[in-house]
Amino acid sequence: MSETGGRARPPRKPKRNQLPVGLIVFALMIAAGVLLSVYRSGALAMAWVFGGCFGFILQKSRFCFTASMRDPCITGSTSVTKAVLMAFAITTIGFTAIKYAAFASGQEIPGQSYVMPVSLATAAGGILFGIGMVIAGGCASGTLMRVGEGFGMQMLSLLFFVIGSLWGAKDMGWWNLNVIAGAPRVFLPDVFGWFGAVVIQLLIIACLYVAADLWERKKMGITE
Amino acid sequence: MAEFELDCLGEACPVPLMKTEKKMAGLKSGDTLIVHIDHSCAMKNVPEWARKQGHNVEVEEVGDGEWDVIIEKC
Amino acid sequence: MKQFFDKISKNRYYAMVFKNPFTYVTGAVLLSLFQIALFAYSGNPWGVSGAFANWGAWIYRLFGGNVDKWYYFSSSGAQQTLDAGVLNNSGSLMNFGIAAGALLATLLASQFKFKKIKSIKQVVAAVLGGLIMGYGARLAGGCNIGALFSSIASLSLSGWVFALFLLVGAFIGSKLLAKFFL
Repeated sequence: MSETGGRARPPRKPKRNQLPVGLIVFALMIAAGVLLSVYRSGALAMAWVFGGCFGFILQKSRFCFTASMRDPCITGSTSVTKAVLMAFAITTIGFTAIKYAAFASGQEIPGQSYVMPVSLATAAGGILFGIGMVIAGGCASGTLMRVGEGFGMQMLSLLFFVIGSLWGAKDMGWWNLNVIAGAPRVFLPDVFGWFGAVVIQLLIIACLYVAADLWERKKMGITE
Repeated sequence: MAEFELDCLGEACPVPLMKTEKKMAGLKSGDTLIVHIDHSCAMKNVPEWARKQGHNVEVEEVGDGEWDVIIEKC
Repeated sequence: MKQFFDKISKNRYYAMVFKNPFTYVTGAVLLSLFQIALFAYSGNPWGVSGAFANWGAWIYRLFGGNVDKWYYFSSSGAQQTLDAGVLNNSGSLMNFGIAAGALLATLLASQFKFKKIKSIKQVVAAVLGGLIMGYGARLAGGCNIGALFSSIASLSLSGWVFALFLLVGAFIGSKLLAKFFL
């Protein structure tokens, strides 16, 4: 980002330093966390804290899962795609370490509810969500982030995300009965063993990374 | 060496980028395009796109949450 | 007083952390670290859209509706969650936190600006996009975080299947965007 050196632009509205307001907001956030831990529980306060950290990181890096899938389609840029793939790789290693530690010591493996059934509902949900996130200008985390940034459009999008979720929840009885029931939950270590699953997944991520890089070079005409 | 302006204030992701791409296609080498944006994503993805295309880019913060992306077509 | 704040804002370390944006890679690394930390701490990875269904149920109840006979909310766990209310729901608090964290980040960088809805196109896009995101997330069991980021990290095949179809949807969405919403 350059300073205003050299360019004779007409002066715009005066910039206000928002740091004082930011500090007040920060203080309120801390207060909310303290109140939660005192009147509810430490775990709930930590949920608030983690959320705050996620939101802060998302905003500062303008990290957007929507962009990771959309930009390759519109400009051919895959810089966000590659960053998302990196996140997949790092979290794969971290999550597997935690899961394997539990498994190896005979405990119940945590987080297995996130190994979801694979069915036509997964495919239909994916397509719907993919269309929706591109049109609405943000995915789930992106919408929340933009609400915090002051985007009126995403506030509206969030409202209808909630309504759509309720509608989806209502229909889940039908979907579960007719599409999802009996669908397999495939935990890759069950198929390839723990070591095999991690290696294969990381290899796939690496291949996708190279593919993303090649795609961008081709689409954007980068030759160096 | 013509100078053009593109107002993308209030546009949602990725409209500033798409409009910039379209507009830049119609410019001649040496022309300058000034894109007015207030979207934090655009303040990153528009300059990134322009640089990858080989143009000179400058980003100026002109207000709270408002930027001018100045692209000189190469 | 104003000079004091201005001085802080111009400090190079302040600029590095609070003013300037992070790179996508930095974001990826940090998000991953916090994802792993959350999983280690709570036993569950990050999820965003599950809470939205609860918000829908609570709002529906405010209007006199009842979701207790629905399959989706029929489990005792789901009933307990709904009865305990939003301030006892970790998913909801985490979502509020995301919005708050983003707000804080913007303010500390002095980049906050309220952006009003500009056109009918944006209204249609937000309404339609939001609706199908919400519906799609329930079908797939989660959103870009729960059914994609967390599921892939959890070595679940569903995460990859979801990713593939997200890409298909994003492609379709991009075409629609260019045609109708530009």
